[in-house]
Amino acid sequence: MNDKPVILDADNLIAGYLPGINILNGCSMEVKEGELIGIIGPNGAGKSTFLKALFGLVPVRDGSVTLGGEDITNLRADELVKRGVGFVPQTNNVFPSLTIEENLEMGAYQAHKNFKKQLARIGDLFPVLIQRKNQRAGSLSGGERQMVAMARALMMDPHVLLLDEPSAGLSPARQDETFVRTREINKTGVTVIMVEQNARRCLQICDRGYVLDQGTSAYTATGQELLKDPKVIELYLGTLGA
Amino acid sequence: MLRAALVFVVAAVGITAILSMGGTAEAATETEAVTTVATTGGTNLLIQNLFNGIVFGLLLALASVGLSLIYGTTGLSNFAHGEMVTFGAMITYFLATPQAVSFPLLPFEFTIAWPFWIAAPVGIAIATFFGWVQDKIIWSQLRRRRVAMIQQMIVSIGLSLALVNFIQWWMGGRPVRLVTSIDPRVQYGPISVGNVTLISMAIAIVALLGVAFFLQRTRLGRATRAVSDNPALASASGIKVDSIIRIVWMMAAGLAALGGILLALYQQGIGFDDGTKLLMMMFAAVTLGGLGHPYGALVGSLIIGVVAEVSTVWLPPDLKFATALGILIIVLLVRPQGILGKAERVG
Repeated sequence: MNDKPVILDADNLIAGYLPGINILNGCSMEVKEGELIGIIGPNGAGKSTFLKALFGLVPVRDGSVTLGGEDITNLRADELVKRGVGFVPQTNNVFPSLTIEENLEMGAYQAHKNFKKQLARIGDLFPVLIQRKNQRAGSLSGGERQMVAMARALMMDPHVLLLDEPSAGLSPARQDETFVRTREINKTGVTVIMVEQNARRCLQICDRGYVLDQGTSAYTATGQELLKDPKVIELYLGTLGA
Repeated sequence: MLRAALVFVVAAVGITAILSMGGTAEAATETEAVTTVATTGGTNLLIQNLFNGIVFGLLLALASVGLSLIYGTTGLSNFAHGEMVTFGAMITYFLATPQAVSFPLLPFEFTIAWPFWIAAPVGIAIATFFGWVQDKIIWSQLRRRRVAMIQQMIVSIGLSLALVNFIQWWMGGRPVRLVTSIDPRVQYGPISVGNVTLISMAIAIVALLGVAFFLQRTRLGRATRAVSDNPALASASGIKVDSIIRIVWMMAAGLAALGGILLALYQQGIGFDDGTKLLMMMFAAVTLGGLGHPYGALVGSLIIGVVAEVSTVWLPPDLKFATALGILIIVLLVRPQGILGKAERVG
């Protein structure tokens, strides 16, 4: 673990979509500045719900979320964007009727005066998007949409980036590209919290991992430790290629 | 998308059935008196009806663009949109008429009698404010409480009934005229048209171009399109979705009011339920053009207007709206997403 300050702290979150039904039953997580955190777990463990609860998209019924020591529990998503948190949803992650450039402009909606500067910066990370900036996002493939979605979330230059299954539905080659890119983004100083189904690949690149089970954080350790943990291997990674 | 389109069609057919159950003969006759053209002089019946269709289509587009924007950004099929059309015209009448006017339950009367060119913009401003009030008091509260869309639609039907009855109670059951002067028709080649109609057309075109400019060329407009595409993602991008929806409600109410005023001039009068009758055509226009697609509302309105008017050359005028709805059904069978609606690739 690095000795940098805690940037995001989720304490004992209880949250759910429908009244009376909790998906998260006391989930906690502590993220230090500049870390790349992977959240893994079986289907239905509450991984995506956890991410959405951090981002104010699912109401938190109990517990708290702080960002840099400031309480951000249940703040609206647009407020969180203003405070430097970016979010990339798993599905429906682009505006289909808008062009690539307009999608990126929406990402910088709150800082439109910096749009040109940010566009140039994102162009260095994703040059293909600038080449095809006038193409409608609705006509892009899943991998290309994922790229637009990440670029859009980076337009506000966030401190913390939340990624919900960025490799879902992509070909193995595209998945690799996504993981490499995520690591590159993290190396620029952005704290990344990533929910992933591809647990092995996720743990390989992340600094620390959290294993969620039935809405609680069951284990946490470095990515490499979790990769070797017999319980994690047995329950979540499988034995093939271990 | 197809399901939503079918809901619109069923709603439109339902309203047609309700409205045809009697009591509308007088209003229908008045409308026909205006829209069925005189064929005297050098007027060519086909070209004249085509022109009338374009005029009606433009006015319908003004009214239905707002309906489409509301549907696009909130998913609500607003059944009270017709009353926003009537409301704009009635408020303008209230401000412009030289006759004594009053508010319901007020024991005295007074005269405002502002010139029309002042009354109309003030009427539009009041209607725009009414859009703000509606969203503030009703729709934003329902959204915040996550009330399902069907329930919201029922609320809009209730609001429609309440408003139409309120307008009747306030303004009476007889059609009112916004201006009392007669607009003499002038012959332009095969077309006979009054100057007021030409000015109305010009205003409608400028307003529609203004909407297009807003949506394409302004940051707020692009954010409106983004909210229309995906409100959750728009929020995650930092857009204040509720503020955008509030602006859409205001725009929709203002455009509907402008449409109502111009329609009242074109028809030489407006009745308390004219907007309600127009709602069917508005639903048809936005469905035909592509649900939630603002330019679709324009294209759909022009087609509905032209088909309705031109059909009277060969068919009885009573069938003109039925013909337009027939075209709607045929187009939807071939192209379920509407004329400008785009099929999205999945994944």
